[in-house]
Amino acid sequence: MIYDVRHLTTYGYSRPVPFARCILRLLPRNDGGQTVRRSELVVTPRPAERIDGICFFGNQMTTLTISKAHRELKVEMRARVEVNRPAPPFPGLTRHWEEVGALALASTSLAPDSPTHHLYPSRLVPAVSEVVDYARKSFSPLRPVLEAASELMARIRADFTYDPDATEVTTPLAEAFRQRHGVCQDFAHIMIAGLRGLGLPAAYVSGYIRTIPPPGQKRLEGSDASHAWVMLWCGPETGWVGLDPTNDLIVADDHIVTAFGRDYADVSPLDGVLIGPGSQKVGVAVDVIPIG
Amino acid sequence: MALQGRSPSTRVKAERRNALLAGYRPLPGAYDEFMAQDGSIRPHWEPFLTEWSALSQDELSQRFGLADRHVRDTGVSYRVHGDIDERDPQAGERAWPLSHVPLVMTGAEWQTIAAGVAQRAQLLASLLDDIYGPGEMVAKGLLPAAVVTGSPDYLRPLHDAPDGGSLQLYAADLGRGPDGRWWVLGDRAQAPSGAGYALENRLALARAFPDLFRTMNIERLATFFQGFRAGLVAKSRRVEPRICLLTPGPMNESYFEQAYLARYLGFLLVEGGDLMMRDGRIHVRTIAGPKRADVIWRRIDGDFSDPLELNARSALGVAGLVQAVRQGHVHVANGLGSGVVEARALMSFLPKLGKQLLGEEMILPNVATWWCGQPRERAAVLDRLDEMSIAPAFRSAGSGLDSDPILAGELPAAERAALRARIEARGMDYVGQEVVRLSTMPVFQNGHLQPHPVTLRVFAAATPDGWKVMPGGFCRISDEPDARAVSMRSGVRSSDVWVTSDTPVEQVSLLPTGDRIAIRRVVGTLPSRAADNLFWLGRYLERTEATLRLVRALLGRLIDADTTNPARPDTVRRLANLLVAWGAAPAAKAATGRGAAARNLAGAKGSPVLAQATSALYDAAEYGSARANVGEARRTASVIRERLSIDAWRLFGDLQRQLTLEPGRQPSEGEVYEVADRALKTLAAFSGLSQENMVRGAGWRFLDIGRRLERGIATCRFARHFAETTAQSDGLDALLDLTDSQITYRSRYMLGASLQPVLDLVMLDPYNPRSVAFQVDRLDIEIAHLPSLTEDGMLEAPRRLVLKLAAECRTSEASRLDRTSILLFEQLLMGLSSAIADRYFLQNSGPEGSRLTGIA
Repeated sequence: MIYDVRHLTTYGYSRPVPFARCILRLLPRNDGGQTVRRSELVVTPRPAERIDGICFFGNQMTTLTISKAHRELKVEMRARVEVNRPAPPFPGLTRHWEEVGALALASTSLAPDSPTHHLYPSRLVPAVSEVVDYARKSFSPLRPVLEAASELMARIRADFTYDPDATEVTTPLAEAFRQRHGVCQDFAHIMIAGLRGLGLPAAYVSGYIRTIPPPGQKRLEGSDASHAWVMLWCGPETGWVGLDPTNDLIVADDHIVTAFGRDYADVSPLDGVLIGPGSQKVGVAVDVIPIG
Repeated sequence: MALQGRSPSTRVKAERRNALLAGYRPLPGAYDEFMAQDGSIRPHWEPFLTEWSALSQDELSQRFGLADRHVRDTGVSYRVHGDIDERDPQAGERAWPLSHVPLVMTGAEWQTIAAGVAQRAQLLASLLDDIYGPGEMVAKGLLPAAVVTGSPDYLRPLHDAPDGGSLQLYAADLGRGPDGRWWVLGDRAQAPSGAGYALENRLALARAFPDLFRTMNIERLATFFQGFRAGLVAKSRRVEPRICLLTPGPMNESYFEQAYLARYLGFLLVEGGDLMMRDGRIHVRTIAGPKRADVIWRRIDGDFSDPLELNARSALGVAGLVQAVRQGHVHVANGLGSGVVEARALMSFLPKLGKQLLGEEMILPNVATWWCGQPRERAAVLDRLDEMSIAPAFRSAGSGLDSDPILAGELPAAERAALRARIEARGMDYVGQEVVRLSTMPVFQNGHLQPHPVTLRVFAAATPDGWKVMPGGFCRISDEPDARAVSMRSGVRSSDVWVTSDTPVEQVSLLPTGDRIAIRRVVGTLPSRAADNLFWLGRYLERTEATLRLVRALLGRLIDADTTNPARPDTVRRLANLLVAWGAAPAAKAATGRGAAARNLAGAKGSPVLAQATSALYDAAEYGSARANVGEARRTASVIRERLSIDAWRLFGDLQRQLTLEPGRQPSEGEVYEVADRALKTLAAFSGLSQENMVRGAGWRFLDIGRRLERGIATCRFARHFAETTAQSDGLDALLDLTDSQITYRSRYMLGASLQPVLDLVMLDPYNPRSVAFQVDRLDIEIAHLPSLTEDGMLEAPRRLVLKLAAECRTSEASRLDRTSILLFEQLLMGLSSAIADRYFLQNSGPEGSRLTGIA
């Protein structure tokens, strides 16, 4: 499937901002069954300095410095991406979860895709014992890892309510878990906390899902903004598999991956510091159009 | 002291020796540093014991007093964690708990420790290079990847960055086991603290026992610091690099040490807000514009050093620092990612890594450690759980334990079972360690020596000639007889470590030899934040002085109740009102009106005016009181402690003591007058110090600008208050008192105070050092000497304003001065103050100002 993605972010400031430095992680990844045909990032006002690079986890990362006073910052990402992922493994045939944990722990690789980066608590995914207890219910002894994880995903989808007003970017995971409300970011963090608590390597992914559903199907949640889901390492043969707890889906060709990391803090699409005492307003518009 | 110079008899010495040793017995099963198992004193302690036996208890206390006074006078302090009160920043600050007995060690024994610590530093440095570089140790299976990735100090953005994990200063915590061998208990590779405290302990004890220090040939510390500094210099591309010590700020527990080391080593003490990144380079914001920083010695955790690429919640760092490091334009020591090798989990792998990376066996073993992330090791720990010490494998990982080890055997059964289950579920978060029994050393308590458990912190620095170990260090002594975890945060004292030498030691000072150094007269750069604080220090000191003068003038008139002077009650009322307007005292309801004032003149104790004066002096809750202003001055000064002399710092302590009232006491008029008078003398001493002892650099100028501005403003306010056209001579007399111009006036005019001569003297006379005109002249000179940012030859705003003020002063005539025109002067001075702040200070201009909101 080929998609045209457009992601426009607009910041409006109540007072002129003389200086800003930002990190953007908006350009899609060009790996894992995904080919970026073309992509561009347009920023207004024009940055005084722009450094394009790749972060530790292999995500596209752009650092900007804007030293001209501005009341509006506009960041527009456009990309054409071809998605052609290998079919996900049959859950019942994956290694059992205890074995996957042990294999991850014994890894002799510090490479960006090594599962060892995703075994421990991270900034936004602390160890929360209630969450681990919740997850454990799906992980009976010697159960195939993807089967158990899929069940956990389905339970999160069933037990939690998608509610954009319930949480903010800064809401702690434990609080979202207790409320049983949240958005894709919360569900992904909760699922990761549960998996890691059991010793399984789980990562956080940001990206998009198709906006217009195929005929006769329901529109997917999170399609009007950037989306987030989970990746689970299922052993050296299978590698990383995407799991979308917001939609109870094993990730195939409906998802476009932008960035991969330990949690939202590693992949936040737009982050920065600026000078200026004023307040800010953010507007986001996302279009994901399948073109064939 | 009659006995001084006469040596006590042998019998007396023997008695004292016995008294010192009375009851000293090594603890069962522990090595004692001082006494062998058979009760004999270890020979290297003999000179020490002999010297102490020659001193009476009084003489000993006097020596201790010298050491303690050194600690107090220099303001050596540390902050107790979690004990921070924003309103009173001094609240959590504790005097440094110094034990007066040093740990004495022979040179031979020290050789082993020094070689072992240097070797370990070298090993960790090589390992860091590998972790942030090729990762061969992990690839070869000598180090599990999960031992690296489990650490919150493994900073992935530093991967492949130049010096991403470089080590320049390392510290090892050592303990001596029952068999007499030293063990490494922990590694400090992030930003080791304590080197400065070691230096302070040395100065304090050397002051108390100078002879002993000399005759025992104690190794000096200065060479070590020289090497450390040279190591940092070598990391810069410039010959004379600008080296900054990046501090978390005065709220940090070891801020004193950081300020002290910055001064000692000649580094610029900066906070994150002082630095900024532009074009891949780090600059210090100074009054002369941004100046390049070449080397940053950080005392903040790596993760907190860059809110943009590392911990977004940090308010301490510099946005863009990681980028600058990556581009190789700044060297950060220790490298931002260096903390990863502090993990306890790493300890069990070091012997093998030593063989691989250095080709050597470890000279100093570390405490036996099993990382429970490996199946066999986990099983071994669970088998012997009850006899093990269990600790988190990594700082702040998901272990659910505090950072200190716990003894599983001492936990209640239910908790032990829960711990066991947690280790079974997520072993990688835990290590099991052999329980360490520490050695003991003597502490002087209640007239004799007692054995207490001790750990030793030893420092190693990367110098151009390789790793060098500080010959000494600092030891931490537990107050408990049975300590298994010693932390500086509770019930712990520290002492110096004396390494004896058989030959006299070389004298080294940090002062370089003259012929290698290019002569410079005005040194250094003044960061904008330091300028800001010096300016406000000047203002607060001057404000204190004004309040004290008001109190003294008021009390003088209360005491000398000249009932024949009909204007007197009015003057008293005006002075009291000024105190209220100043924010120094609460308004007294009964104090208005002639009758009330007259009653006050009778001097009844507890009168409203006396209460107001008392409050203006002592009441820290009144923001304009002398006490509150001294507190503000001290707070401001504490941020620029490295720029003030010890003598100056001591005066703050004196002032605070003078202005502290015992609870429940009601001082008399005479007493309040006395205290105000004495505090004014102390303040005069501060002015004297800054006039006579401070280099006339930009720092001094800002201090002076602050004082001059505040004095000018205060004088205008006094003048407005007393110099009405209907002014009576008693009020003008008070004005002369407040501006300290009484003597000058009397020497010029035979008659009593009259309006125009008084106004000319306090406002316009350029020869009176208390007049507004004089302050303006000084301000003009100081501002003219400050660096200019403009290149077009145009005047900058502060200079423009001060020139205007100077012209006003010169062209005004006393006969035309009235409240309105004086107010104009006052407003011009305030405008000048804002212009200076706008031009030279940071004014929340940091890019840390606010953040973009993220989007999910």
